[in-house]
This record gives sequence, C-alpha cells and structure tokens, in this order.
Amino acid sequence: MASPFSGALQLTDLDDFIAPSQDCIKPMKVDRRPGSGVAKIHIEDDGSYFQVSQDGGMKKLEKAKISLDDCLACSGCVTSAETVLITQQSHEELRKVLGANKVSAAPDQQKLVVISVSPQSRASLAVRFQLNPTDTARKLTAFFKKIGAHYVFDTAFSRNFSLLESQREFVRRFRGQANPEQALPVLTSACPGWICYAEKTHGSTLLPHISTARSPQQVMGSLVKDFFAQQQRLTPDKVYHVTVMPCYDKKLEASRPDFFSQEHQTRDVDCVITTGEVSKLLEEEGVSLAELEPAPLDSLCSSASAQEPTSHRGGGSGGYLEHVFRHAAQELFGIHVTEVTYRPLRNKDLQEVILEREGQVLLHFAAAYGFRNIQNLVQKLKRGRCPYHYVEVMACPAGCLNGGGQLKAPDTPGKELLQQVERLYGLVRTEAPEDAAGVQELYECWLQGAGSERAGRLLHTSYHAVEKAGSGLSIRW
Amino acid sequence: MKDSLVLLSRILAHPDSRCWFLAWNPAGTLLASCGGDRSVRIWGREGDSWVCRSVLCEGHQRTVRKVAWSPCGNYLASASFDATTCIWKKNEDDFECVTTLEGHENEVKSVAWAPSGNLLATCSRDKSVWVWEVDEEDEYECVSVLNSHTQDVKHVVWHPSQELLASASYDDTVKLYREEEDDWVCCATLEGHESTVWSLAFDPSGQRLASCSDDRTVRIWRQYLPGNEQGVACSGSEASWKCVCTLSGFHSRTIYDVAWCQLTGALATACGDDAIRVFEEDPGSDPQQPTFSLTAHVPQAHSQDVNCVAWNPKERGLLASCSDDGELAFWKYQPSEGI
Repeated sequence: MASPFSGALQLTDLDDFIAPSQDCIKPMKVDRRPGSGVAKIHIEDDGSYFQVSQDGGMKKLEKAKISLDDCLACSGCVTSAETVLITQQSHEELRKVLGANKVSAAPDQQKLVVISVSPQSRASLAVRFQLNPTDTARKLTAFFKKIGAHYVFDTAFSRNFSLLESQREFVRRFRGQANPEQALPVLTSACPGWICYAEKTHGSTLLPHISTARSPQQVMGSLVKDFFAQQQRLTPDKVYHVTVMPCYDKKLEASRPDFFSQEHQTRDVDCVITTGEVSKLLEEEGVSLAELEPAPLDSLCSSASAQEPTSHRGGGSGGYLEHVFRHAAQELFGIHVTEVTYRPLRNKDLQEVILEREGQVLLHFAAAYGFRNIQNLVQKLKRGRCPYHYVEVMACPAGCLNGGGQLKAPDTPGKELLQQVERLYGLVRTEAPEDAAGVQELYECWLQGAGSERAGRLLHTSYHAVEKAGSGLSIRW
Repeated sequence: MKDSLVLLSRILAHPDSRCWFLAWNPAGTLLASCGGDRSVRIWGREGDSWVCRSVLCEGHQRTVRKVAWSPCGNYLASASFDATTCIWKKNEDDFECVTTLEGHENEVKSVAWAPSGNLLATCSRDKSVWVWEVDEEDEYECVSVLNSHTQDVKHVVWHPSQELLASASYDDTVKLYREEEDDWVCCATLEGHESTVWSLAFDPSGQRLASCSDDRTVRIWRQYLPGNEQGVACSGSEASWKCVCTLSGFHSRTIYDVAWCQLTGALATACGDDAIRVFEEDPGSDPQQPTFSLTAHVPQAHSQDVNCVAWNPKERGLLASCSDDGELAFWKYQPSEGI
C-alpha cells in the first residue's frame, strides 16, 4: 500500500523519529487462569489466531493494536514506524471518546469535545457533496454535534495569529540582519512534512532559518486548551481537541513533545483526523452531508461570531508568502502592494515574487512546494546561494489543497478534482488577519499584548535536529 | 563454444577490495572502474596492455558502486554508498570533482546520463529515482523525485535515443519513466521477474530492453506502440512493454549484470557463479518471439562473483568484466559462425 504521508516525510524515514527500543511497552492484558499449563496457538486459514486450551476448547485471540499514542509514548516499536503510524484508528479513537462520553454519567469523566476544521478539508468535502463553503461549514457543524461533539471551530481563525506572528517575525529578522542569529531567508513552519525533513537532514543548516510561528493547527491547540478551556472553567485535560486536516503529516505534528503540556499532562491537539476519515465517519453514520439541517457556526469568542466562514488571500496553503510580503513591503519600505504577482520558475510548484524600486530589488520571496523544489532550495542554502529573503515551503505538490488526506473522486482525474477544490476554497470571503473579529481582543485579553511572554509561549515553538541514531538496533544492515 | 570468448589480460584493479562496475568512455579509449576501496580508476591502453592513468580517491567516503560517462566524454559521474554522486570533469589526464549531488537518504546504487547530456538519473536504497538537470554553468538541479518503487532501486539506464528512463529494483519490477508537463511520471511497470532485478540494457535500436535478475533469468521486453500491428493492447497513448523472451536454465546463480553490444547486438551476462556468458539472437527468429542461443560461456571467468560486463562501444568484440575478487579482465569475443 502506498504511504499516505507526504513525499518529504516518506523519504525522511520516520524510524529516525521513533527509534526502536529493547522492549515493547504496550501493556498486554493477560488473563491469568490457574492451572492452565502451556497454551497452544492455532492459526486459521484467514490468519486469525485461536488459543487451544487443554480440553480442546478454542478461544479467539484479539489482535494486538498499537495506536499512535502508544507508539510515541513508548519511544519506540520494533516494527517499522511508518506502518504503525498509518492509522485508520484516529477516527476510531474519536468514536471511543464520544462513546465514553455517552456511557459515562459522572461529570468528572466527561470530556468537552471540540473539533477544529481546516478550510482545506472543508473545501474538499464541499466538492464531494456539491455544496457551497457556508453550507458545508454549517452542515459539518451539525454532523459533528450529532455524533457528540460540543463545539466546532474553523482553523482559519487561528490562522490569523499564525499569519500575524509570521509578518512580525520577518520584519524583525530582516531589520536585524547584522545579527548572525537573525538568519535570512526565513522559511515557513506550517508544514510538518517539511519540518520533519528539515530536522532530520541538515538540521543545523536549516533550523535557524525556520519561522518559530506555530501552524494554525497548533495555535488552535493553544486557543482551545488554554483560552477556551479556561472560559469553560475546565482544566485542559478535560477538553478533547480534534482537528480535521487535509494530510496525515499533521498527525505527527500534533504528537510533538513541544505540543504536550507537562503541567496538565495533555496534548494541545489530542487527535487529528483527515478529510478522508470524516468521510468514513459520515458513511458509518449513514449520513450524506447534503441532507443535514445546517447548524449555526460556533466561534471562540463572542466578538468573533459570524455565520459565514472567512479565509485569507494567497492560495490554499495559508497565504504566508502573500501576507508577509505585503506587510514587509509596507513596514520596511512604505510600499503598498495591492496585487501580488507570482512568477512561475522551472515548474509550477516553484514561484517567485519580487519587490522592486528604481531597478533595485528590495524583497525577493519564493514559494517552493514538493520535495524536488525543497531539495533544490536546501542545496542552494547549503552553498550560500539562496537569493530569497522568505520562502513558503510546503511538502505537497500544489500545496495543502492537494494533501494526502483529501478526498479522491474515482471518476474525476486528480488535476480536475484539485481545480474544483481550489475553486471552492477561493469562494470564501477573505479578510486581513489584523481585521478579523476577535483577534485584537484576544491579543489583549488572553495574551496580554502582541510581544508578550505569553504570546511567545503560546504562539511560537522550537525545533530540534534529529541526531543520527547511534543505537545498534537502528542500524540498517 | 569456450573458444569464442578469449581472455586478453587480467588486472588487479582494486586490490584487497571488490571491483563493482566498469564503464567505457564513448570513444572506447578509456575504461573507468570503481570499487569497495572508495576509488575510481581510469584505465587507458598502452600498446597491448592497459595501464592506470588516474586514480580518483578523494571523492567518496564509502564504496563507489557505479560510474557513468557523459555522452560527450568530458564528464564522469560516480555513485556511492555514502549517499552522494560526484561529477568529475576531465582535463587531459586529470579529473576534477566539479560538484557533488546530495539528497538521497542512503546508498546511491546507480547513475546514468541521458543521451542529450543534459539529464542525469540516480537511484538509491531509499527506493527513489531522481532526475537531475544540468545547465550551461555545470549547475545541477533536481527535476524530479520518483517514488514508484517499493524497495531498493538497483540500477537506472536511459534509452539510447529518447528521454525514456528505466529502473530495476529489489521489488522485482522494472519501471519506465518519461517527462509529462513539468514533471516525470512512471509510464510502465514490467512485472515477471520472481526476484530482485539487478540490471538493465537497451538494445541498439531502443525497441527492446533486457533485464537480469536474482531469479537467474534474463528477460527481453519489447515496446509496443499504440495501434501496433500485433494487436498488443496499450493504455491510451502510452506504449506498452511485453516480455517476448526469457533466457532460463543457463545461469546457476544470480545474474548481476547484462550488457547489450551496440555494435553487434550480442548480449553478455555477469553471474554470481563466477562465469561470463554471451548470447546471440538466432538469425531469422520472429521479432515478436525472438530466440537467443548461448554462443560463449567461460565458467571460471573470475575467482568470485562477476559484477559487471561492458562491451567496448567502438571495437567489435572487446568485452571488459570485473569481479568481487577486485580484478578487471579484458576478453575478445569471436563467435565461431563469423557474424
């Protein structure tokens, strides 16, 4: 089966993130029965295992399952990390939590289930069910609440923070170029496939360049587990935060130790399900999204209540290049850019944007999607020949709208399907992040100011070069 | 039959090490060898013997697995287990490493230049095949990263005249790739071998491809274009490849290399049973079902596994071979039926 992770992550060899350990710590439930003697195991033709007891009775044995959580808690697994991480179990995990909520009457056992949907996943679902983005958002809200979720949010809201932090950070780094730590180019950080690759290969070369701004998924993690939980008067571990994402790499991002709160023993994002897994959930419920009655949209704070989703300019991967470029042009050079012109280079996944004045290049930005373009960018950087000040890097060719977790259509060729998803994504009204309702308020009330220590802690993160494994077990013979 | 392939000379090319691969330059005047001693050696003729003209030992930190000359003969590429590929530029007798291609996750197993000289392909144990483009300033950029194989990719080779790339893998398949818009795509998968496919060779016309395998067979595949007379089914506008001949029962161990002479059409094989064999297509055999006969067999060509066989591109019948025993040997092939 072809790996669903991005090309960059596949080649990165996940085994380096999850090194094998001597023992598998997956707790095994052992039914100890007195005087049972030696058990015999019989394997049926269909591959199922039966334990044969001394009296000849057969008992079917359960397959040991390892979830993403187990694997990462363990620090290792003797089987290939990648196949273990391919988890169809994430939407099953969600079901487990929803199920536990229903069954358990005790209020202190209940979890508040929050689901944050990415605009890219929503666009993919909109195409599948032939709905406009607003109806898709409302019907998804209805669906998730029907199966037991309490709140449904849009990660376009948290993306406002990612974009604003990225804008501020670039201007700061550009101005502080004399300082060797303020390395240019700045490389975006929203794509976990890219981040894992960067940490693994040439860690020391690349990491100083990567933006410290958290991705929209992880900003939402902070918003939900810190701000929203407090508002609901709950501790963060009582909130179960699920995100709906267009790729599998986001599952790995949610599992990073940096996004785990030691204090509350809880992750900022507990579970990531892909667009495909949402489709599975709908199928399992026997529901077509189109048939559902739309529900009103939830919002994180009262001033942010709108009955229509909003989005950002600059393409389906978040618009980092577009926003940072326009902000930098204004802040650094007083130039107001109305329309950003993208110039394609050697292939359609590599584009550049230039700000010129009187023949002089002031800003030279680029967008590099897909592994081959990342490769070339990294090589240029290593040789000191990178002409860019800022690069938006995404692991998937064509960006997030084309992520590995997006819905496929058996009778529509991939290219055409992508165009449809891009079109529906682009139908959503865009607004500038600084103008988005609730954002400034949250900066003041929740973060206590844009440059504050809280903002630094909750909206930023750090990276760690992966050491080449020294453990004998990880040597490939 | 034994007399058809006669030993001319033997050289201990890579002492105390394996000699992994050989490549003749396009003019047929130089032979590059590479080995487990991390070096590349260039051999030239002096009278009747071959002497070492250069040793390129500073390029790699681990075994050099394959070498390949550019079509113009001025550059040599070396693929190494250290995960890099070096590009050497020839200046008279000197070779200078002008660039190192990085990016593969682990051991690079093969490198090959496209007939145009502008493209290079590499493949690796990381299961990927990379296509690189070189510009006027000798700068290399990665054009495509192909992840079609599911296991270690052992060999890549270009079609003699078209920009069509073939790869052989531990996943038992051969895959073909071509450019589509701004990327490369896998346009065919040849299944049939029952074990690792170690090497590939196109015939002089490029219409047929020979593959050799750990399953001890050589398979000949033929290209069928859409609308072909034989009625071979094609998918849309894509050519399809069919196995038209399987040479089995001749080799007692893994076949590590196959070489198709561009001058005579003779097929040479390098085998893990230390032998070298040569096959020729039977005159008058049906192009859709060709038959090949064994015309030469040297059982103890080397004292260990034969890793590579290479036909000289200009001198008919001149064959070079190399082995795990570190030796390089030159042979003269003279088929008794006088072709």
